[in-house]
Amino acid sequence: MTAKKKATSKQKLSRGATVKRPLGRRAQNKAAIRKRIVTAALSLFQTKGFDATTTKAIARKAGIAEGTVFNYFRTKEDIALHFFEQEVDQAIASVRENPRLRKAPLEEKLFALVHSQLEFLAPYEKFIGAAFIHALKPASPLGIFSHRAQELRHRYVGFVQELMEGSLPVRKQNPLAFLAPDVFWIYYLGALLYWLHDSSPGKQNTLAFLDRSLSIGVSVLKQGKR
Amino acid sequence: MSSQKNTTTGRALSMASMGAGIAGSYVGYLLQRAFLGETKSKIKLKSTHTLAARRMANEMQALRGPAMKLGQMLSLQTGVLPDEILAELATLQMEAPGMHASLVRVQVKQSLGGEPEEIFKQFTPEPFAAASLGQVHHAVTREGQPVAVKIQYPGIRRAIENDFTLFRTFSKPAQASGHIPKSAIDEIEEQIIAETDYLREAENIDFLADRLAPLSFVKVPRVLREYSSDKVLTMSLMTGRHLEDFLAQRPSQKLRNQLGTHLFELFYFQVLKIEALHADPHWGNYLFSDNAGVSLMDFGCVKYLSRESVAYLRNAFLYPGAIDSADFRRILETYYDQVGEKLLPAARRALVRFAENFYRKVYPPEPEKRQLFDFGDAAFLHDYLRESKNLLRTKGVLTEFIFMGRAEMGLYQTLHRLKARVPTSEIVRKYL
Repeated sequence: MTAKKKATSKQKLSRGATVKRPLGRRAQNKAAIRKRIVTAALSLFQTKGFDATTTKAIARKAGIAEGTVFNYFRTKEDIALHFFEQEVDQAIASVRENPRLRKAPLEEKLFALVHSQLEFLAPYEKFIGAAFIHALKPASPLGIFSHRAQELRHRYVGFVQELMEGSLPVRKQNPLAFLAPDVFWIYYLGALLYWLHDSSPGKQNTLAFLDRSLSIGVSVLKQGKR
Repeated sequence: MSSQKNTTTGRALSMASMGAGIAGSYVGYLLQRAFLGETKSKIKLKSTHTLAARRMANEMQALRGPAMKLGQMLSLQTGVLPDEILAELATLQMEAPGMHASLVRVQVKQSLGGEPEEIFKQFTPEPFAAASLGQVHHAVTREGQPVAVKIQYPGIRRAIENDFTLFRTFSKPAQASGHIPKSAIDEIEEQIIAETDYLREAENIDFLADRLAPLSFVKVPRVLREYSSDKVLTMSLMTGRHLEDFLAQRPSQKLRNQLGTHLFELFYFQVLKIEALHADPHWGNYLFSDNAGVSLMDFGCVKYLSRESVAYLRNAFLYPGAIDSADFRRILETYYDQVGEKLLPAARRALVRFAENFYRKVYPPEPEKRQLFDFGDAAFLHDYLRESKNLLRTKGVLTEFIFMGRAEMGLYQTLHRLKARVPTSEIVRKYL
């Protein structure tokens, strides 16, 4: 719940990096419509399923003309991708802007990053499960091989690398540490899968899984020179 | 290494490496023996023995789960561990991995519905103590009351259940032979799983706070229900010093006697008057004050005794007649009958021996005037362990007394460290 609050308060940040100037009324209006479309689409993805949802239904739910939807997004896959971009950007921003995390150990920063992503996704769990399968199809625009998805991954991996470099001096790292940020992306997908399958109340098992696996991972990363 | 111990495989690996570790040092011993004469090898045995034992104790401490409680029982029977470590095992804590501030926030938010800073006026992100299955933080409520907030490590219940599944599997032979009865594993699992429910612990606290009121030297915290859930437990802050710090102040013999007397009295008051006892003797759970006050903490493990059990103890404690009499035998048999257990002759002899060689010595039924038992002499501790081992070997231990036995061992260990002199018989008589 509070993740949403966080997300809105951090929307002034684009792609987790530079601060935009305050939006003009026109741009504000556009952003509001975009948000309405995404919200409508997500609620349909969650209840009706991703495949069964049409852009027509999304437009109806958002209370706008179908043509207007196309001014913002070409396809429903675009909407989904936009949502995943938001997920990653807000998570990056939430770690970067949190003063409490500044001096935190690497495992805590990474924990906060993944947890913030999962918290963002939590209201749409059913849809995420479906999207996960979709993403494995090579031809799907949602797929991990699509251009936009690649770009998103780069942004994510870049940030993880930044965190790792900030926390571990290079000479103290494991010789294979340069692979770690890319491995972390795969780890994240694994954690997502674990989370989707976690039926424990409050997803407590996922928390334990993240905490344990990250502390092992970081200790392995440090094991190069000891 | 220790960080991987909370997954099933991690625990399995750790258990395996524990086995390997001990075997390793025993193989070392065997190899050495090939080169050493018989007498020398005997001396060597002793040192390998303790090394393996140390390693086992360390492993058990790192394995945060029931392993050590079970381990204690196992080691009592196998004699792998020397007495000193055995006694200390009783006081080990069910530790959980430490949580960083972000994880703490998630746990508080999930349990109390807000960030720690929103819920409390002040919240210290660094824990000040490890607690059973979690850690404890200082905080101040919005009403301005300083409190201790105990926060549970996520998913710990499942981790414990996994341990038990694992343990049940590899202890099949010991179960079949009756050395570790299934009922004992059930009892331990039930108690330990109960410890994962902080709401139940809150009830234990309220219960003991109420019943322990007659003992003016005992302090029990107050639960703040509006700040508590099954995974977060907020209590009034207790003051005093832990045993180590207390001893570091070089307390006088008089103060140590007073404190020992209080601890002894607390134990028998609980067993005989309340019929329930705080059964987690970990030293972190006690705070001592300079006027010999005792503050209790961590009420996850409270054992409620059955009426019959307490009646039996009443009859057996300070039994005036001859221990090998038919009458005493009847007391034992009646009780075993009541709980539906068979009292084998060997177990009966072990119980009689226990009563004769330990209890009669520590609290004689007809003491001289102003009798004081000196717990400073370690001989009594060895007697206790020897007789416990003997009793376990004869399979005479009842599941009802597993936790009481652990608490008793912890009590004796603490009294020994205090080197206290206590009017034992007088106290037991008072509550009979």
